[in-house]
Amino acid sequence: MTAYIIRRLGVGLITLLLITCLIYGLLRAMPGSPIAADQANVNPSKQISKQALDQYKRLYGLDKPWYMAYATWLGNLAQFDLGRSFKQNNRPVFSLILERMPATLLLSVTSLVLTYLLSIPLGLWATAHDGTVAERGVSVLLYMLYSLPSFVAALYLQLLFYVKLGWLPLFGMTSDGFGEMSLPGQAWDLLKHSILPIACFTYVSLAYYSRFVRANMQEVVRQDYIRTAKAYGIGPRRILWHHAFRNTLIPMVTLLGLTLPSLLSGAVILERIFVWPGMGSLFLDSIRTHDYNVVMGLTLMFSVLTLAGQLLADILYAVVDPRVSYS
Amino acid sequence: MTKTSTISPPKSSGFWREAWHRYRKRRLSMLALAFVGMLAVVAIAAPMIAGTKPIVCRFQGHIYFPCLGYYNPSWENPIFRAADVYPDYAAKLKQADPDSWAVYPLVFQDPYHRVRADEWPGRPGNPWGSEGTPSAQNYFGTTNVGYDVFAQMVHGTQIAMSVGFVSMGIAALIGITVGALAGYFGGWVDILLSRLIEVVMCVPTLVLILVLVAFLDNVTNWHLMAVIGCVSWTGIARLTRAEFLKLKQMEFVAAARAVGASPLRIMFRHMLRNALAPVLVPISFGIASAILVEASLSFLGFGASPPNPSWGTLLHAGQNDIEKMWWLIVFPGVAIFLTVLAYNLIGEGLQEATDPRLRQDSH
Repeated sequence: MTAYIIRRLGVGLITLLLITCLIYGLLRAMPGSPIAADQANVNPSKQISKQALDQYKRLYGLDKPWYMAYATWLGNLAQFDLGRSFKQNNRPVFSLILERMPATLLLSVTSLVLTYLLSIPLGLWATAHDGTVAERGVSVLLYMLYSLPSFVAALYLQLLFYVKLGWLPLFGMTSDGFGEMSLPGQAWDLLKHSILPIACFTYVSLAYYSRFVRANMQEVVRQDYIRTAKAYGIGPRRILWHHAFRNTLIPMVTLLGLTLPSLLSGAVILERIFVWPGMGSLFLDSIRTHDYNVVMGLTLMFSVLTLAGQLLADILYAVVDPRVSYS
Repeated sequence: MTKTSTISPPKSSGFWREAWHRYRKRRLSMLALAFVGMLAVVAIAAPMIAGTKPIVCRFQGHIYFPCLGYYNPSWENPIFRAADVYPDYAAKLKQADPDSWAVYPLVFQDPYHRVRADEWPGRPGNPWGSEGTPSAQNYFGTTNVGYDVFAQMVHGTQIAMSVGFVSMGIAALIGITVGALAGYFGGWVDILLSRLIEVVMCVPTLVLILVLVAFLDNVTNWHLMAVIGCVSWTGIARLTRAEFLKLKQMEFVAAARAVGASPLRIMFRHMLRNALAPVLVPISFGIASAILVEASLSFLGFGASPPNPSWGTLLHAGQNDIEKMWWLIVFPGVAIFLTVLAYNLIGEGLQEATDPRLRQDSH
């Protein structure tokens, strides 16, 4: 097992190297430099002198060919230094990302937990009531939710709960004057702001997971040991929970690894719609301003999280299923 | 003396015929197929459904088709510019040539400009901003600057359809080639290509596409299709590889090799047609996600440069005016939802029609 994990980590490192190398090369190959873009957009009259421009370029490694700059970037990375932002007051990229991370994690972790909490009972319920009108209705609804793009859903929810009903705020993470509120007031404010984003994050994976649970359960309940359990006179509840469900856990675990990348992609769009100060917004902002170092740092972050999710899923796979061993 | 009737074995129907037979039984999947067919017709015939240029007209003794200008500006005959008819056909064609006649599109609205008062003789101009609610003149309302939303959505169908097909065509080409090579040759080719697949899979797709697209100067929908196609082939490659690994062991492959067929011929003539059915399923789901990616890129403001009457562009405009102009969100949202739903249903139908394991399960 340990050998397997070490080997996987090694492969993961190589993968990361390849990804960052690819992205770094592509970024540098794209037309337009961050400094030029800044000049043209912000203030055409405020030209930087040639000397200052060269100094800037040296500072950010733009004067070197991309593979040299990439090597420097890697060297700095080994010392946990992701460089500095061109645009945000020269701040270290590392602290910029750390600052934005809690907001993204709040959304994605909450929605992941909610998904597991809701989809398992839903899937079990659908198996127990297979074929009834209510079950068919719920299944159709879930299928439609699965096909509903999250950004469309987000806009519809905003229309309903902000424009039409006026119950929830349109966007942001906190209201003005958040600092002066009492603690319960702050919690209430945060809750009100995060209901819609969390709902949008959750429903797609909820639809997917509960369909998945149900499909697996249907396969399992046809097995012989379920018939045997029935023959012994064990109650349907106990069969479903104790005998059938435990065997659907294995595929559930692999899903965890597949969900992470989609959660991150979702973060980019949904954080933009809800003006949520997370990593997704930071990513879009820095792409728009050609802020190479921040884009690189975030791409690395996203890739590391994706790889970690896959590794975790594979390890859990071995933990849950005694038939799987990596030795 | 009895006539010996020759007993001929019943001809077994082919795989595709049987698959089609099973597919047809799924009513929802058939409905989805019909919907996509309708979208394809709308996409191809968009200038004939909504536009301000005549579909066909007779002008100075000749027949012209000015609506072709919507497909490609150079297909519109320059004679109309010379006669100062362009772009006000409805108002000026008769003045320039009293004997002329013209057949106009079903809906006289334009995705690229605001229809002004008396552009169609006697009709008021399009309202704009929050005045542009859906009405008998503008079925789905108008945008901030008075463009007709219905016309934009009809012409946006072209983008959605072509993005789906072209980008998945690219993805299928790359994916099938990579998967076939890896599965057929095995060994170090397989190891190398499998690593490549893993690397591409590890980058969140939207992140990679955004990085690629954001740094282009003038983005066209062709750029988007190429980029989407180049990052979404991994699923197809993995499936093709698995199928080829299985098929490699079959007798017909050994037979083909024995008669001296080249590897390329074995792979793409003999094996591919047997591996095609399972590969169609991820392609169908892939079309749905390609349409989704294009819509989200346009929505985020990273789509094709204007004028770009994409559904996502309308949503982008709608988000900026969410408090006043609900119609910019509701109609394009429904269009995107239904299209994605249809492709997902088709994919599911294909899966059940072509997967022998599910077939046995069904009865």
